[in-house]
Amino acid sequence: MYLFDSVTPPLDDGSYRLTAATEVSYPGAKQSFSQQHYLEVVGPRFSVPQAMVAGSFPPSNAHGAFQDGLPHIVLSRRTLPWERELDPQGLIPPPTIEAGDPPPPSGPVPWVALLVFEEGEYTLLRGIELQQAVPPDVFARLESPANITCDAVEADQDLVEAIMPSLEELQLLAHVRWVNVEDRELNTAGGDGYYAVVVANRLPSPGAQCRAVLVSLEQRADLVQANPPAVAENAPGNGAVAAQQQAPADLAAQQAHANFAAQQQAPADLADQLPNPIFTVAQAPVHTFSPPLHTPIFHVPAKKVRLVALTSWQFTCEGPGTFRELMQNLDVAMLGTVTDVGHPPLTDTGHLQMRLQDRLGASESVLYRGPLVPFNLTRDPFVAYHSADQARRVTPETGAEDISYAAAFEVGRLLAAGDARFAQAIMRWRRESYRQSARASTIAVIAKRSSLVLPPTLAQTLHEPITPMVGGAATQAVVQGHPPIADAYGLQRVGSAPGLNPAHLAAAWNLASDAEAASLLGEDPGTLGAVVATPPQTARADTTLDTVAADTSGLARLAAAREQAIANAKTTLGGT
Amino acid sequence: MRAASIDNPRALAERMVAKEQVDSTIPESTMPPYMEMFLAHLRLLIGVPFEYLVPDARLLPDESIRFFYVDRSWTDRLVDGAIAVGKSGTREQAHHQAHSADVKAQLDLTERVVRTLQRGLSAPREREETPAQITTGFLLRSAAVSGWPSMDVRAFSEIVPAAPSNVDDPAFAQWTTSAEAVQLRTLRLELLSPSVLLALFDGIPKLVWCEEPHHGIEFGITMKDGSPFFLDRHEASGAGEQGAAPVPVPVRAANPRVVAVAQLRKQLAQLNDPKLVPQTGSAGFAIELLQLPWRQRFEGDTSERRHSSGAFVSDYPVASVITQQTVRDAVTELL
Repeated sequence: MYLFDSVTPPLDDGSYRLTAATEVSYPGAKQSFSQQHYLEVVGPRFSVPQAMVAGSFPPSNAHGAFQDGLPHIVLSRRTLPWERELDPQGLIPPPTIEAGDPPPPSGPVPWVALLVFEEGEYTLLRGIELQQAVPPDVFARLESPANITCDAVEADQDLVEAIMPSLEELQLLAHVRWVNVEDRELNTAGGDGYYAVVVANRLPSPGAQCRAVLVSLEQRADLVQANPPAVAENAPGNGAVAAQQQAPADLAAQQAHANFAAQQQAPADLADQLPNPIFTVAQAPVHTFSPPLHTPIFHVPAKKVRLVALTSWQFTCEGPGTFRELMQNLDVAMLGTVTDVGHPPLTDTGHLQMRLQDRLGASESVLYRGPLVPFNLTRDPFVAYHSADQARRVTPETGAEDISYAAAFEVGRLLAAGDARFAQAIMRWRRESYRQSARASTIAVIAKRSSLVLPPTLAQTLHEPITPMVGGAATQAVVQGHPPIADAYGLQRVGSAPGLNPAHLAAAWNLASDAEAASLLGEDPGTLGAVVATPPQTARADTTLDTVAADTSGLARLAAAREQAIANAKTTLGGT
Repeated sequence: MRAASIDNPRALAERMVAKEQVDSTIPESTMPPYMEMFLAHLRLLIGVPFEYLVPDARLLPDESIRFFYVDRSWTDRLVDGAIAVGKSGTREQAHHQAHSADVKAQLDLTERVVRTLQRGLSAPREREETPAQITTGFLLRSAAVSGWPSMDVRAFSEIVPAAPSNVDDPAFAQWTTSAEAVQLRTLRLELLSPSVLLALFDGIPKLVWCEEPHHGIEFGITMKDGSPFFLDRHEASGAGEQGAAPVPVPVRAANPRVVAVAQLRKQLAQLNDPKLVPQTGSAGFAIELLQLPWRQRFEGDTSERRHSSGAFVSDYPVASVITQQTVRDAVTELL
């Protein structure tokens, strides 16, 4: 955000005459030409269209704690406050500069000001003629534009004088802002990011309904002062110690009222000039002493002045204070801290006593603690609770029941039961799991009941159908053949183990006989399995070479086989 | 009617022991997304009636802030209760028993992305696999909640010093980096009612700050107990001058709520504070009138009573002198 003192237009608003002249000279003669044009630069003068107001603080019709903020208006036309001259004739004397004052602000004086009125201080007149909105001499200096209607604000002259900025203050209260185009706060109206900002000088009173009015001060030399009015002597700004003045606002108000009362006695004859002389009851007495008897009980109404209202908006100043005050005054503590100890009765563990009606209908005193606790608790490692009763606890000291976790269980159940989509989701979750767990169970049963070798990843590969896999495994088992018939149970192998073989045992322990070893091993050789004798071979007669040679048919078969083998080899090697 | 497959009294125990369940790593056994998010929301106490959180209104009086730890057992029971819906037999119980550890572990991860998803952002691609932290938070009941919506709330595991006032300073970038390194994840930040704010953080904070929303930078003065008025000093960058005494604001005699603008400017100029904006015109004056957002800091150890402090923050570039060449060119062209 960048701030500029002012942005002035190349031409101020007004009527202009453009004269173009040229002189043409050639040998023997000289001629001049000239031409005149009239042009008018037009800008907002007696009203500012709402589209030109890019924003305002406080927002229009807002309620809030605005008592420490200066209202301001943001205008999307960046040159607007400097497009006209406040006092072209120089009727207002230049401000006096005392020694030690900073140099006066540079730049032109804006012709608009933002004034803040509180409810009851002003009357907003809508759509009146310009002649009625400004005094006759001002109207004349405005060059008497005809058929102009405008809005005007009417207020007591004293009040307007009290809040009207002086020349220098007018300069200080208007500036131009350039904000980033991305800055959405002030850029709602679009544009290039330049805004004219006019700030008010009056803080809204707490609780007051206020109206901020952007007024035109063009030619209002009767209201704008060269020098600002007096500063409150006892205000903190003048170096007074804040502690000594209990209520500077009240003192200043008393002074204001005193001045007001003094002024009111003089211009009694002015009352006749006012359009609607009405008598109002005097303000609340500001002096505690009795006024002199000749002071009239009724006094003349204050002189009213009117100003052209370019635009205005209302807001209400109410609320508990600023963000800073609220946050600074917070009561900071851990949960479970109560201001009035014992109310509510809280145990040191953060539990609260409650009445509960149990299932039998009897009333009992139980303890409850919410999920928010003032100290760190370890997490219950027992993962699954299946019913609220499982989560009920009894405190050992008092025997009172602690329903905290049971209550949590029930809240969770009710919240879930209230959500139809959750019920659907949890049912889907279970259904899917049931199906897969049934499948896992089937696989486990098959593996247990049969000796089939199933793929080890079958339980994980959920897409594999079980039946074909089992069928395939069974076929494979058949193809691979049965286990050996002899010693199907492996008893012989067990029996031949050194520790169980009586012959080896007898040799190792140097026993007298195998029978002795057998008796040591349990007497009965049958328990270890009988040694199976090898079946006897079939006896065959010896064969001589002659018998082979005599077997012609056998030799012929051998020769044919040899021929066949040679032919095969030839074919394989390429036919030669 | 189909005969019950198991009918002996030890049916549940048998089922629990001889459970045949799908391994949790298998996609088919994971929770449906809606269920997972619902349970993760429950973990953050979303939807739990306020009476269950704060059983007595006196535990959270007006204009108070209460810090707390979240009892993770309580939230686990909440989840158990939710899963108990439709649990009518031993089959469901065995299923829950077998999966509860995985559900718990999964929710410990999911609960951290709830806020990201709530804000309409996509969840971070890589999920953290670190074990669940301690969850803490605070409840704030104040008119500041209703009056200043969308305030900025952050928590830090270490005490972060106040930010350097000048945003152009390299120290400011350094400060931002170091602050972000210790910032705790905000698990939940929600209004429970127009004036009650609930915040949950992932971890134990040593510093929590609440900042006035940056909706607009306004002009104004500071009031201390109604009157008198003060003005905070601002440097040329718009930043609040650290440690400087506020300037008393003069008012007009005729109306004590009208700021004596010319007199105020005179006093500002007479302060001869080299850090202040030179009072050449309305721009410099406006910078001095800026009201900066307030940042309230709550510091302290976990179990002790936290003390609070605050400061105005000024992370806003405001300049009286244009230093950037592009901007200077743009302005020159314009004027």
